[in-house]
Amino acid sequence: MGSYLARQLSQLFITLFGIITVTFFMVRMIPGDPAQYMLGDYATDEALATLRAQMGLDKPVVVQYMMYMARAVTGDLGDSVITGRSALSEILQSLPDSTILAFAGLAIAVVIGVPMGIITAMRQGTWADTLIMLVALAGISFPVFWLGLASILLFSQELKWFPALGSSSGQGFWNAVYYLTLPALVLGVSVAAYVTRLTRSAMLEIIGQDYIRVARAMGVPERVIVWRLAFKNALIPILAIVGVTFAYSLGSAILIEVVFSRPGVGSTILKAVSARDYQLVQAGVLILAVGVVVVNTLLDLTYALVDPRMRKR
Amino acid sequence: MRQFRHPGFLVGFIILAFMTLVAVAAPVIAPYSPLHTDLANTLAGPSATHLLGTDQFGRDILSRLIFGTSISLKVALSVMALSLTLGMTIGAMAGFLGGWIERITVSVIDILLAFPGFLLALALVAARGSSLESVILAVSLAFTPRVAAVMRAVVLTIAPRPYIEASHALGMTRWRILIFHVIPNSLPPVIVVATVGAATAILGEAGLSFLGLGVQPPTPTWGNVIADGQTFLESNPLISLSAGFCIALMVIALNLLGDGLRDTLDPQMRKTSNAKMM
Repeated sequence: MGSYLARQLSQLFITLFGIITVTFFMVRMIPGDPAQYMLGDYATDEALATLRAQMGLDKPVVVQYMMYMARAVTGDLGDSVITGRSALSEILQSLPDSTILAFAGLAIAVVIGVPMGIITAMRQGTWADTLIMLVALAGISFPVFWLGLASILLFSQELKWFPALGSSSGQGFWNAVYYLTLPALVLGVSVAAYVTRLTRSAMLEIIGQDYIRVARAMGVPERVIVWRLAFKNALIPILAIVGVTFAYSLGSAILIEVVFSRPGVGSTILKAVSARDYQLVQAGVLILAVGVVVVNTLLDLTYALVDPRMRKR
Repeated sequence: MRQFRHPGFLVGFIILAFMTLVAVAAPVIAPYSPLHTDLANTLAGPSATHLLGTDQFGRDILSRLIFGTSISLKVALSVMALSLTLGMTIGAMAGFLGGWIERITVSVIDILLAFPGFLLALALVAARGSSLESVILAVSLAFTPRVAAVMRAVVLTIAPRPYIEASHALGMTRWRILIFHVIPNSLPPVIVVATVGAATAILGEAGLSFLGLGVQPPTPTWGNVIADGQTFLESNPLISLSAGFCIALMVIALNLLGDGLRDTLDPQMRKTSNAKMM
C-alpha cells in the first residue's frame, strides 16, 4: 500500500506541474501584448511597465516560464487587475460556493444515475430500459443552462416552489439549502443522464462475463447475482465514472452559476473574462483543474481500498 | 448499409438530413431575414405572421432559428474535422511508436483531460477574442485530447494483430503499415467518438454564445437566441425554449447516430467510446 501511495503521489505531482504549464501557455494564446490586453487601451505607461516586469514579458519565454512556475508553486498567481487583490485569494473566496454546488449536483447524479443504470442493464430490452434510456438521451442533449432556465420558468415562476436567483436571502443553513435546491437538482439531473448511460454499459459488460453465466446456470437467485456478484465488481468502473463526470459537473456548474446568479468560481471567471482580467481567469482555471486532479487521485486511492488487486498495478 | 436497420441510427440520420436541408435552404424557407428589425412589433407572441413571435428588436424568432442551424452545423463539422485530424495523428503516433514518445503523449493527454473541457474552451476564447473561428478552435483543442486518448487505445489493440505482424514480416515500412493498415482499421471506434465530438461542439458553442463569448450578435445562433430570451423569460418564454429545443434535437440526432454506429460497427468498443464522453 505504501509504494502504491508513493506512486500515486508522484503522479499527482507531475500532473500538477503540467497543469501549471498549460495555464502558462494560455496567456501565450493572447494575440499581441498580454499586458496591454489586460490593462486596456487607457493604461498608463507606468502600469504597463510594472505588469510587464512582473510577468517578465521583456525576457525570453523560457525565463518567463521559470518565473511563472516559481511564483505559482509558492501560491502567487498574480493579482487581479480589477480589485488589485491576489488572484488566488479571489478564487479561493468563491471556491466553497462552487464546490458545494458541484458536489451536491454530483451526489444527486449518483443517487439517481447509478440505480437507473443498474435497472436498465438488468432489464435490457424491456420497455423500462427503453423509456429510461430515452429520458437519459434527452438529459445529455439539452444544454444544462437551458434546463436551468426551463426549471426557473416552471418551479420558480409558475409553481413558486423555489427562488429563481441568488444564493440566500438571509442567514441560516436551511435558507442556503432552500436556494441551493433548484440549481443542484438541475445540475444533478443533467449529470445523472451521463451517469445512467455509463453505469448501464459498465453493468452490461460485467453481466456478459462467464462467471455470471455460470452462476445463472447453477441457479443462483437473480438478487444475489445482481448485488453480490455483478454490482460489487461494477463498483470500480462506477467510481471511475464518478471521476470522469466530476470534471464535467464543474464545467456545467459554471453555466448553472450564471443562470441562477449564484456566486462561485464560474461567476468570478466570467466577470474576469469580460473585464479582461486574464490573471484571474488563469488562476480560476488552474484551481479548478487542480480540484479535478485531487478528487481523481482520492478516487484512485479509494479503488485500492475497495479492491486489493488495484494496489499491485 | 446495415446501419439503416438500426432504428436509432435511422431516426438520427433523418433528423440530421432534415437539419442540413434547413441550413442549406435557409434563405428560401425563412419567412424573414434574421436581421430584419421591426421596432413597431417587438416581443410579439406567436401569431400567423410570426410563428414563434419576435424578440426585443422585433426580429422573427423562427427565421433566426432557421439561419442559426447553419452555424451549429458549421461548428459541428469543423470541430469534428479539426479534432479528428489532430487527435488521430497524436493518438496513432503515441500508440504505434511507443517508447518515450508514448509516455510523454499520455502524460500530456492526462494533464489536458484534468481541465473541464468547457472551461478550457472558455479560457481560449477569452484569450483569442470572440468569433466563430475562435469558438471552433477552442472547442476543437478542448476535444482533441479525448480523440487522442481513444485513438491510442484503439491502436494498441490493433498493433499486435496477426495482419500487422504479417505486414512487418513482408518488409513493409512502419509508416506504410501505420497509414494503410492501422489507421483504416481504427476508424470505426474513432467515428463513434467523432459524433460525440460533434454533439459536444454544438453544446459548447451554445454555452459560449449563451455567456456572450461565442459568435457575436446580431449573427443568429441558437445559443444567442437563448441568451436574448433569458431577459424576457417570464413574458416571452417561447424565445429561449424554442432555441433550446433546436439544440437538443440536433444533439439527440448526433447521439442516436453515434449509438447506432457503436452498436453496428464494433460492439467490442462499446466501453471505450462511452467512457470518453465529456
